[in-house]
Amino acid sequence: MYKHRNSQGSGSFSWVFQRITGLILVVIMIGHYILMHYTPESGHTYDAVLARMQSNWYRVLDLTFIVLGMYHGLNGVWGIFRDYKLKSWQTITIISILIILGLAFTLWGIKTILDIPYVQTSSGLLVK
Amino acid sequence: MQVTFKILRFNPETDNEPHFEEYRFEGHENMTVLDCLHKIKWEHDGSLAFRRSCAHGVCGSDGMRINGRNHLACSTLLKDLNTKKTIVIEPLPALPIVKDLILDMTDFYEKYKAVKPYLINNTPVTEDSERLQSNENAEKLFESAKCILCACCTTSCPSTWSNNNYIGPAALLKAYRFVFDTRDEAADERLDIIDTPDGIWRCHTIFNCIESCPKEINITWHISQLKKELSNREL
Ligand code: HEM
Ligand code: SF4
Ligand code: SF4
Ligand code: FES
Repeated sequence: MYKHRNSQGSGSFSWVFQRITGLILVVIMIGHYILMHYTPESGHTYDAVLARMQSNWYRVLDLTFIVLGMYHGLNGVWGIFRDYKLKSWQTITIISILIILGLAFTLWGIKTILDIPYVQTSSGLLVK
Repeated sequence: MQVTFKILRFNPETDNEPHFEEYRFEGHENMTVLDCLHKIKWEHDGSLAFRRSCAHGVCGSDGMRINGRNHLACSTLLKDLNTKKTIVIEPLPALPIVKDLILDMTDFYEKYKAVKPYLINNTPVTEDSERLQSNENAEKLFESAKCILCACCTTSCPSTWSNNNYIGPAALLKAYRFVFDTRDEAADERLDIIDTPDGIWRCHTIFNCIESCPKEINITWHISQLKKELSNREL
């Protein structure tokens, strides 16, 4: 039976943001794939990563990727769960797990990026 | 041309579960599936139960699953099916079976009623005036008004299968038909009604509904217009 009284606010926010974050993710993911997977010269050694991370633009891009990716992915998973008839204890358990996991991994990701040291000298060489 | 039909049968008085029964008969490529069901009922097994009324794709009472696809029996010709293989007939999924191909449609109609499928306008009409509608507005509603409530779409939707409380494409299409009617004054009320966890947001643009609609309505497009309208209203 369809319940047409809504106590949970509009679902349009989640719908719109899933699309906006999806669009931004296409752009970032294409860049990510080209640079990380199809351009071996870009390198995956510690030094190569450290060198990339000297750019604040690159850091901001990665932070955006983490935050939007986590939001989009977990909101997507939440959306899949909502396609099933859940009892309210199941709803509460699932949303709690998703929020805790989401926050933990997002903060961990942000911390990882922020913890990367700035080591570049004015000549552009790494001093390690 | 010999045709074989395999029909899912269920008699609530004797059966615990539905089971298939096969029928072989002489058919013709211009027979509809409904003609075949009549032939079976009149010449082979009078106990076969199914709904039909107009036999011409107007009343919407003979929606069923034909070779795995929801469609009207009266609008499906044998020549459009592979008659070399057995033709499988089942009731529409996701609704309780009353007997054989007859379903309990209560839930489907309740969802339809939930969106208030009638014109609401409490402004009195002045003397010598009518509630006029522009050609453009009529055009905008035309496709959505073609629905014959056969339930093929709602029961073909994977969101309905996983959560049968989902309001479903037929009711959403009807909501569109009145939300965008310039003569109607209850658009907001209807938008509130469909903006729920079991409402419009369970539609994931899977397009099953369009594939099954015998009136070839682009249901998903209409649902998207409602999603945009809701987003514009809320954001
Ligand atoms: C290429 C960029 C991407 C685009 C354009 C995109 C777009 C979308 C859209 C529009 C939806 C909503 C579907 C619906 O409500 O029916 C969605 C759902 C989802 N997305 Fe993405 N997405 C992208 C990348 C990602 C990534 C990287 C992840 C993983 C972190 C992800 C995980 C999900 C999940 C789990 C869902 C829910 C599944 C569903 O509703 O069908 N997406 N995505
Ligand atoms: S487009 Fe939406 S309503 Fe139609 S079948 Fe897909 S999910 Fe269901
Ligand atoms: S939209 Fe099409 S499939 Fe759905 S109930 Fe109406 S006529 Fe049937
Ligand atoms: S019998 Fe009326 S639509 Fe098929």
